Amino acid sequence: MRGIRLARFGLAIAAAALGACTEQVTAPGQCPNYCPTRRLTLVDTLLRTSIGKDSAFRGYVLPHRAAALLAANLPGIVDSRPLWRFTTIGPRLVVVATDTTQGTIERADSARLQFFITRYDTLERGQTLRLYRLPVTIDTTTTFAMLDPGPFADSLVRTLPLDSLLARPGRRDSITHSVTHVDTLAGDSIVVDTLHRILVSLKLDSSKARYVAADTGKVAYGIRLSADSLASMVVGKDALGATLQWYLVADSLGVPVKRAAPALRGTTLATFVFNPPAARIDSTLAVGGVPAARSVLRLALPRPIRDSVQILRGTLLLVPAVAARGVRADSFLVQARTVFADFGAKSPLVIDLIHVDSARIHVGATDTVRIEITNLLQLWQTDSTKPATIVLSAKPEGSELPEIRFYPSAAAAYRPTIHLTYLQPYPFGVP
Amino acid sequence: MGGMPLAAQDSQYGIRSLGTPGRWESVRARSTAGAFGPFDPLSPLMEASLADLGRLTATAMAGTSFRTATLGNTTSALRETRFPLLLLAGQVAPQLALSAGFTTYLDKSWSVSTRDSVVLSGVNKPFTDLLASDGSVADLRLAAAVRLSRRLALGAAFHVLAGSARLSAQRTFDDTLYHAVRQTADARYDGLGVSGSALVGLTPELTVALWGRSDNRLRTKVAGATTAEIDLPRMAGGGVRFTPSPSARFAAAAAWRSWFHAGPGAFNTWSWSVGAELGSGASPIRLGARGGQLAFGPGPTAPTEFAVAAGTVRAFSQGHALIDLGLERLVRQGSGLDERVWTLLVGITLRP
Repeated sequence: MRGIRLARFGLAIAAAALGACTEQVTAPGQCPNYCPTRRLTLVDTLLRTSIGKDSAFRGYVLPHRAAALLAANLPGIVDSRPLWRFTTIGPRLVVVATDTTQGTIERADSARLQFFITRYDTLERGQTLRLYRLPVTIDTTTTFAMLDPGPFADSLVRTLPLDSLLARPGRRDSITHSVTHVDTLAGDSIVVDTLHRILVSLKLDSSKARYVAADTGKVAYGIRLSADSLASMVVGKDALGATLQWYLVADSLGVPVKRAAPALRGTTLATFVFNPPAARIDSTLAVGGVPAARSVLRLALPRPIRDSVQILRGTLLLVPAVAARGVRADSFLVQARTVFADFGAKSPLVIDLIHVDSARIHVGATDTVRIEITNLLQLWQTDSTKPATIVLSAKPEGSELPEIRFYPSAAAAYRPTIHLTYLQPYPFGVP
Repeated sequence: MGGMPLAAQDSQYGIRSLGTPGRWESVRARSTAGAFGPFDPLSPLMEASLADLGRLTATAMAGTSFRTATLGNTTSALRETRFPLLLLAGQVAPQLALSAGFTTYLDKSWSVSTRDSVVLSGVNKPFTDLLASDGSVADLRLAAAVRLSRRLALGAAFHVLAGSARLSAQRTFDDTLYHAVRQTADARYDGLGVSGSALVGLTPELTVALWGRSDNRLRTKVAGATTAEIDLPRMAGGGVRFTPSPSARFAAAAAWRSWFHAGPGAFNTWSWSVGAELGSGASPIRLGARGGQLAFGPGPTAPTEFAVAAGTVRAFSQGHALIDLGLERLVRQGSGLDERVWTLLVGITLRP
């Protein structure tokens, strides 16, 4: 009997201990009767005069440093043409497959030029590419005016009606699901992959692919785009850059033999030229374009806000002074980043995924641009040693022709403004 | 403001004020609904009863509450655990006993979650606020009691009120473009108090207890700055115990507390209790009922409470160790809120 009592007693204590292990404290309530007397105070305000000392700078990404080549034919806006200069082949070529015997290259039999179009307007009709032979002396200082009038006027090599080639029946690859359209007469083809990129493959016969011994096979070409109306496309670069496959005729003990060059030729220069040149920087805040422009804004947060409040949301409001011009596909991102140190135009940017915010700029739109900068504002609150500087730049930088210009702080009615939402300090301990 | 979940520990009635006052009773006294509180040397209510403690004794208690709170059309179940009492007492001279220990003076743990919305940039933005306090104010008591005669014992105590609470306020918008933010602070509380009591044996079977207490104020400091000083109440109470036989003891008690000065929503309170301890030997049965008013509430009148309690005790090691068990059913009502609480109490007492 005594044992049973003790067991019951133990069970009761164990039940109490189990109950003590967890807590459930959520219940319905009703304010104001069953809430604290003080509430969080939200402030939603516009800081109209906190941004100042703003300025714009151009030249951050030059055309030959851009991630892509821009082709555009936008009458009244811009005419942009990609250029390539391919590597040399050398004067001699292996003529016997089982030997290392080389023969002098006499001439070109043919060549195949391949390049990627990474973005194009599928709704635009009559898009046509024209390939021009350019002087091999082109370099990064070559301007549109040096080439037109000039090679772009009198050195047409091939014309590729892109639309008509795309309209031909295609053959779908069962593995890659890419679709190949072939012009058997001209020997050209295009391959549209699942990312809607177009691999253009142009056959150049001996009259179009000239082997100049003095240049040891170095050649340069340029592309001109046209369409029924506005036309704009992006041509690949680097990993998606242009290649040239030579098929050459070499001398083998007095006998001309045809041989393929042992390797694809890449480019030593891939750039683009355009007209008119980029507009000069003025008092507005320019962002984007080529060469890329950036604008630097300096923020002076009121001390009570910087030191005491908790920011829920901060939005940078920018009023366009000049809308971006181009075609619809030329929209781009404007991103706001901060800097490690404020050295003006050469301020090193903080590059991370947290302290960058962006807004898309649509061509022709003049609506107020809103960029979320909450993370930046919170960063400056937590570390007052960081310069409260915002750099506006385009993304991708130097790879879109349009640029946008915002009103600067000097334009009182349209100056950059911060829309700030924050919580005031809660009066802890106050009844 | 819409309906909202609300989290509160002990009682929602204390959220808008100082907190929820603790009960200065051991498991034995609580099992009789507080009726034996003035006569229980291990309850930190009255000091004079220490004079009859005899030998060194230590006690501690824990309580687990299962609470159903009904507010409007919503009912929620809550569960919480507290360790509100630790006390050491003993006789240091033939007529003199001392005691030191702590009990909960104010429970300041609560958490309130509210749903609301605000128009920002012309768009209605719903959000959730979470305001919380986690802490308490403890009553550290140093008490002495002396038996002047067979009929009269006196006691006095000095009280130091000390405590802290971690306070937080958080707002989270449904629209994630608005970042969730949280503010926190540590609040510290302090105050002082004195109390005195007397135990008068009118007859061998009938004993009367009287007690009084005065606390000065509760000072709140946040980040080193005083944010509030709130007057604390004066209290007085008494009780009567009737022992017709060794196996039957009856008691009744009443108390008055002047919480009114603690600010808006505070009331002076009366409370009463009656109880009995039946049976002799190792496991008596304890019963009791109590009622009265709560110190804080949102309405024009003080909320009320009523409780019944029962319990027993089990002795071990020839009485050197005691385990007290109690069960209390409590109902609090007022200003639209209805709280119904089951509380399981466990006390451990050691008498080496």
